[in-house]
Amino acid sequence: MSARRKKFLTVWMVGVLLGLGLVLYAYQGPVSANPAAPAAPKPFDPVAAAKKWNKPPPPPPAKENPDGTPWVPVDQVAALKRAHEVPPLVVKTSEESQRQRRLRLGDKMPKLADMKHPYLVLDNPMVNKDGDLYEAVRFMHKKHAAVLEGQCFTCHHAKPAAKDASETTRCVACHQNSFNPELPGRLGLKAALHRQCMGCHEKRKQGPVGCTDCHAKKVPDHRKLVKLPDKPGPLEVTKECLRCHQDAANHLQNAAHWQWKGPSPFTVEGEKRIDMGKATNTINNFCVALPSNWPRCTSCHAGYGWSNAEFDFNDQSRMDCLVCHDTTGTYSKVPTAAGWPFLQLDLKKIAQSVGHPSRKNCGDCHFQGGGGDAVKHGDMNGILYYPSKSCDVHMGGMDFACQECHKTRNHKISGRSLSLPVAEGPRTCQDCHTNKPHNGNSLLDHHLNRHVEHLFCVTCHSPVYAKCRATKTWWDWSKAGHKERKPKKDRYGMPDYDWKKGEFLWKESMKPAYAWYNGKVERVLLGDKIDTSKVVDITKPVGGFRDPASRIYPFKLMEGKQAADAVNKLLLVPHLYGPGGFWATIGKTKTPVPDKVIDQAWNKAFAKGMAESIKVNPNNKGLKPYSGQYQWVQTRMYWGLTHETMPAKAALGCAQCHESLAKDKTCCRCHKDERHVDFKKLAHRGTDFQWMKKQGRDVHELIGKTDYLNFKALGYKGDPIVYGGRLKKLPLASTIDRECK
Amino acid sequence: MELNRRRFLGLTGAALGAGALGKPSRVSAARAYQPPPDAYGCLVDLSVCVGCRKCEQACNQVNHLPEPERPFDDLTVLDDKRRPGPEAFTVINRYYTGRRDERNQMAPTFVKVQCMHCQDPACASACIVGALTKKPNGAVHYDVDKCIGCRYCMVACPFQIPAYEYHDPLTPRVRKCTFCFERISKQGGKPGCAQVCPVEAITFGKRSELIKLARQKMVDDPGRYQPYIYGEKEVGGTSWLYISREPFAKMGFLKLPNQPMPHLTETIQHGIFSYMWAPLSLFALLGGAMAVFNRKRDQGEDKS
Repeated sequence: MSARRKKFLTVWMVGVLLGLGLVLYAYQGPVSANPAAPAAPKPFDPVAAAKKWNKPPPPPPAKENPDGTPWVPVDQVAALKRAHEVPPLVVKTSEESQRQRRLRLGDKMPKLADMKHPYLVLDNPMVNKDGDLYEAVRFMHKKHAAVLEGQCFTCHHAKPAAKDASETTRCVACHQNSFNPELPGRLGLKAALHRQCMGCHEKRKQGPVGCTDCHAKKVPDHRKLVKLPDKPGPLEVTKECLRCHQDAANHLQNAAHWQWKGPSPFTVEGEKRIDMGKATNTINNFCVALPSNWPRCTSCHAGYGWSNAEFDFNDQSRMDCLVCHDTTGTYSKVPTAAGWPFLQLDLKKIAQSVGHPSRKNCGDCHFQGGGGDAVKHGDMNGILYYPSKSCDVHMGGMDFACQECHKTRNHKISGRSLSLPVAEGPRTCQDCHTNKPHNGNSLLDHHLNRHVEHLFCVTCHSPVYAKCRATKTWWDWSKAGHKERKPKKDRYGMPDYDWKKGEFLWKESMKPAYAWYNGKVERVLLGDKIDTSKVVDITKPVGGFRDPASRIYPFKLMEGKQAADAVNKLLLVPHLYGPGGFWATIGKTKTPVPDKVIDQAWNKAFAKGMAESIKVNPNNKGLKPYSGQYQWVQTRMYWGLTHETMPAKAALGCAQCHESLAKDKTCCRCHKDERHVDFKKLAHRGTDFQWMKKQGRDVHELIGKTDYLNFKALGYKGDPIVYGGRLKKLPLASTIDRECK
Repeated sequence: MELNRRRFLGLTGAALGAGALGKPSRVSAARAYQPPPDAYGCLVDLSVCVGCRKCEQACNQVNHLPEPERPFDDLTVLDDKRRPGPEAFTVINRYYTGRRDERNQMAPTFVKVQCMHCQDPACASACIVGALTKKPNGAVHYDVDKCIGCRYCMVACPFQIPAYEYHDPLTPRVRKCTFCFERISKQGGKPGCAQVCPVEAITFGKRSELIKLARQKMVDDPGRYQPYIYGEKEVGGTSWLYISREPFAKMGFLKLPNQPMPHLTETIQHGIFSYMWAPLSLFALLGGAMAVFNRKRDQGEDKS
């Protein structure tokens, strides 16, 4: 080897070694890469938090009406009573063919309007005796009749031989116990129902055919199955649950209720992301955001101990099964303990009585969001634990549990909201009620069904929100901190101020804001630049007058003032709860609290809040540490209203929106004058605000309204009956001005 | 006449054959087995079964069988063809026979497999200790206290149903569908599978009535069924009967003779042993042969 070459190699190797050394020196491991990371924080102590909270777990909600009478889901009770009746067995059926039957009946064919029982529950002890694996099925009798266009004989296929027997004799009259030796070949009730339902659904390729598409599975008695020592800890309970239900844990691990993030297919520019959610980057104008406030916020997490950014979402042993599956109504989490339950609870008893979730399980978080009952959602509050039928027809009239609409598969729960980006499956009213939900087959139904293209059901079927309990509509953080200010009670008995949170407005029986909505939502997320000179829409529905996919939706508008970074133009995350947080700082200060102290407390809270936000969202380029200057901006959130649907007869009537009809006396505006049609009965019924007022609701301003939706604000020239619709003109629009005689 | 080994065997065989075939009419009349006249049965309508596996689940429960490896609501189990075993007395198999539905998709047919409870069961005939017996109510009943574990029943069964607990070295049992013997012995009792079936694909009743019902179904819905009741005549008839939309041969149903299996075997066996004629003639033959040989030997000795 030549000396020249040797020298070259030596230099080269020294260079490589130096480079390697430099790289090793610069690399300090993935965690410590962030120079601002402090030493490991003190681990969260749930027992101390529970002791500090120092209140007993709340009792289960009372199963009674506001006046103290026992709560009864009227429609469900009536349907169950009917379902349990066993009429005498019809031995002989008519031998007539369907054709002969039709000929015989002629005009006397049973009609939709003759239907006495629009809602049935298919639950007969006779069926349960032969295998009791599933819960009873709810059956929309009238809807099925409507879909079959009034062909009652499709299901009522035979008639008892007796002359005076009803043409639409109920199933159980002929189909009772199976394998009756007297009647070979006569199906039992269970088989008759299954064959009729599944046969038709399969033939028409419409309707459910799987077992759990109609039924909920019965939960076996867990008293013998669950083996726990006395006074078990929450983690022991989870371990015992997972002994049999490992699958459930695997499913929950990827579900939104565990991850608090997930796919966001309906968020503009977030369609393909799977990382959005409260866990990472969503923000609101209630307590703003999760980072730095974990132990308080995660008391609603289906897990134990999410107290900082380092929570391990792969650790299935920390899942909280009981919060959703307790049926005793006693399970409760300490509001400040990162999801850990109250120490006083008998977890063994609770674990031994697990079952399907009820409104209590879902409601404890979803009714109580935003730090208290009825704060967040305009259409969900503690009333819905046991609502009256006029408050919510599904939950109050028919005792629906949440998951009966929000169908759940593998712990992924269908439904979506405007407030959060995560969606795990679609759910609309039409899934059950079809695209022609007004199925009475009358003249009015025809007109109403045409509305479905332009209006979301709840727009008419729940004309006011928060109708049974006032909800928060304004939250001004800029006023927070003044411990000396005494809160006043408003007319609903709600406080107007809380030094921790600021100033509030509450409203009961509020008329919603209406907007076009096609399902997509524009969001302001952590790290998104905002225009601080305007009202910032944190969530906003997408849609427009000319967009055929858009419909008019009702919204609760939540407005308020919150902090933004005056330099970086970002919404700020305040560190509210916990040591060093805003509440702790002000809490220690003597009253009256000087503005300067409040200012300092905010600065400290924002610095910490933003630092933690960056930690949770390391790849979020927009997020910047707090600049040191904040300003108050007005923000607004749209909250969709889907619950609290009222009974059909309480929906908005024609004349309540269509001003033009208010003065009419007949249908002559569009139709040839037909005096036998009772126009008044058709057009002038509707929501009876007068009655609601008598019930004590705050609806005084809504009485006598004739332009409820405000067509002009929605983009119409005016009442579409007069000025035409948005996509096409009404055929008789030119004749609108003719005089009715 | 020189009697060598080959000739001897030939003679013996001929004698035995003559014995077996000699008077068949008399001998079969001696096998006076009559199936129970008032037996229960089950009629499985394969055109109705939806393959939900609830019958498997009910069977598991009423017979206190061990928890299956995969749950009963896991329908992917149907991707494989299974056989009943010691831990599942009945299984559902899925067959694609070529039938297509209105959307031109392959339509499955589900077949329930379990002990057929033959009217004249081969297993009971083969059982040397009488542990398997055909009961008046139709069930082919297994008495574990009598069983000695010879497993002849498993060899004898034309449907290959009885299974053996090979995993249990000390007290293994033969396992098969019991027709829920205890349950159907009670007034109004039904087999677990038939009771749970959500669509009554299984109809439980008197066998004679079920055959009538099956024929009626074929008349009422012409074209829906193959004009054949599987189990009506197979191996002398079975308590479990099947009607189907598809040809049975496409769904794993065996083509079996109409004669009961025990007919041939018992005819031979009983024929051989009636009046002890076969042993007697054998000994007579042997005696005769001995006499012939002895005489020849004596003559030979005389010559020398």
